[in-house]
Amino acid sequence: MTIEEVFEVVRSSTAKVLDVDTSAMTLDGTLTDLGANSLDRADIVTQSMLELNVKVPAREFKGVTDIRSLVEVLRSQVS
Amino acid sequence: MTIPAVGIEAMNVYAGVARIPVAEIFTGRGLDPSRLKNLMMTDKSVGLPCEDPVTNAVNAARPLIDQLPAADRGRIEVLVTSTESGVDFSKSVASYVHEYLGLSRRCRLIEVKQACYGATAAAQLAAGYLVSGMSHGAKVLVIATDISLVDDRSGYTEPAMGFGAAALLIGTEPRVLTLDLGAFGTYSYETMDSARPAPTFDVAAADRSLFTYLDCLDNCFRAYQDRVDSADFGQTFDYLAFHTPFAGMVRAAHRKMMRDHARGADSAADFEQRVGPSLYYPSRIGNLCSGSVYTALASVIDNAEIDDGARVGMYSYGSGCSSEFFSGVVDAASREAIREMRISERLDRRVTLQFDEYTRLLEGSLSCLVPDRNRTIDSEPFLPLYAKSGERQDLLMWTGTKDYHRTYDWISTPGGTDDD
Repeated sequence: MTIEEVFEVVRSSTAKVLDVDTSAMTLDGTLTDLGANSLDRADIVTQSMLELNVKVPAREFKGVTDIRSLVEVLRSQVS
Repeated sequence: MTIPAVGIEAMNVYAGVARIPVAEIFTGRGLDPSRLKNLMMTDKSVGLPCEDPVTNAVNAARPLIDQLPAADRGRIEVLVTSTESGVDFSKSVASYVHEYLGLSRRCRLIEVKQACYGATAAAQLAAGYLVSGMSHGAKVLVIATDISLVDDRSGYTEPAMGFGAAALLIGTEPRVLTLDLGAFGTYSYETMDSARPAPTFDVAAADRSLFTYLDCLDNCFRAYQDRVDSADFGQTFDYLAFHTPFAGMVRAAHRKMMRDHARGADSAADFEQRVGPSLYYPSRIGNLCSGSVYTALASVIDNAEIDDGARVGMYSYGSGCSSEFFSGVVDAASREAIREMRISERLDRRVTLQFDEYTRLLEGSLSCLVPDRNRTIDSEPFLPLYAKSGERQDLLMWTGTKDYHRTYDWISTPGGTDDD
């Protein structure tokens, strides 16, 4: 999958969890910018994993600081 | 062979004699007040320097033992303490608890540890033992007991951590909760989301723990569905009682499960109806570790409409991590059994501390797992708190150690005064 395709999955998961307009969401922003608290972020990650049908070990998210790094971690697990 | 019903015959929650409003901790520690609403908590229980995992366990279980006929007391053939607050690498908390509860010497003693999941593992293994026919009519006492090691180093974990124990008498006359035998789903893998590397502090990766809680819930429920063909998250359970590190976590978990497993339903209304009753006690106590899911169950039984029978879906999660989704049935007899424990009244009567009183108590209580060879604890300053708490039962206090052997004493509480 391309970065853009994985980003679209994260965007759609974010829209489902937060119920907000995500049209302005970019790879360089953060989920916190969109109003996500720590619970929402965990929810968005698990939702994205479900939609991508991947299981990412929790330790892989250690260096995630923004949407781009989240997308990269998820993409690295997609076969 | 006919398999008997099995489950929880009697249950009690002990949550200390003192509490502090969570908002006081936010103010005192300078935490961001906008995050208070995410916790969905009002108070947390606070331990005293003369309380430890042993006193919590005994104080939770004693009312169950006192109400048992002597013959039944002798049928408690296994005592399990589940704790992440062990007091010795070899000697179990159970060995002390067995002594102070006066249980039979023909009783197995064991301590288990798997963070906040340990008690559920013990209860499920006990249920299997009890229906196996190995010892007809036996009972197993499982006590989830812990203390918290949080202070100004702990950030937003501090206001969420509670103090106390939950005692479950497991047997084949399950008045409180009849387990749906064979209906369970488990999920475990190694991760470092929180741990207690030493007797004086915890480490926690909060974001990782939130993630693993949600990940395990989804996978546990899928495993449950693999065993129970017709299981439907939105329809099968009248109520839900989850491990509650803080009530806001359970709200997020429910929202996720409804989105994935009950699309189209009104999630907010469902939360109020099916989850709300489980949160009254946890939101007034804080996280009781492996006793937390049973505190949530007690809250359902005391606060929900269950008289005509209700199925409760339960989720137990322990960091590290191991987890289980399982279920059982409660009814009017459950309500009667739990009401005898007066949990709500006892929570109301805990003494409310000011922030400076709270931090002074922490100075004494944070070292309660440190293995000092000799220690004497002066309980005198804390006696007024016991008196004000309105506890009607005798309570066990920790008095110190002699050559590493922990010492205890009973305090007779007067039943409370009304001048607080």
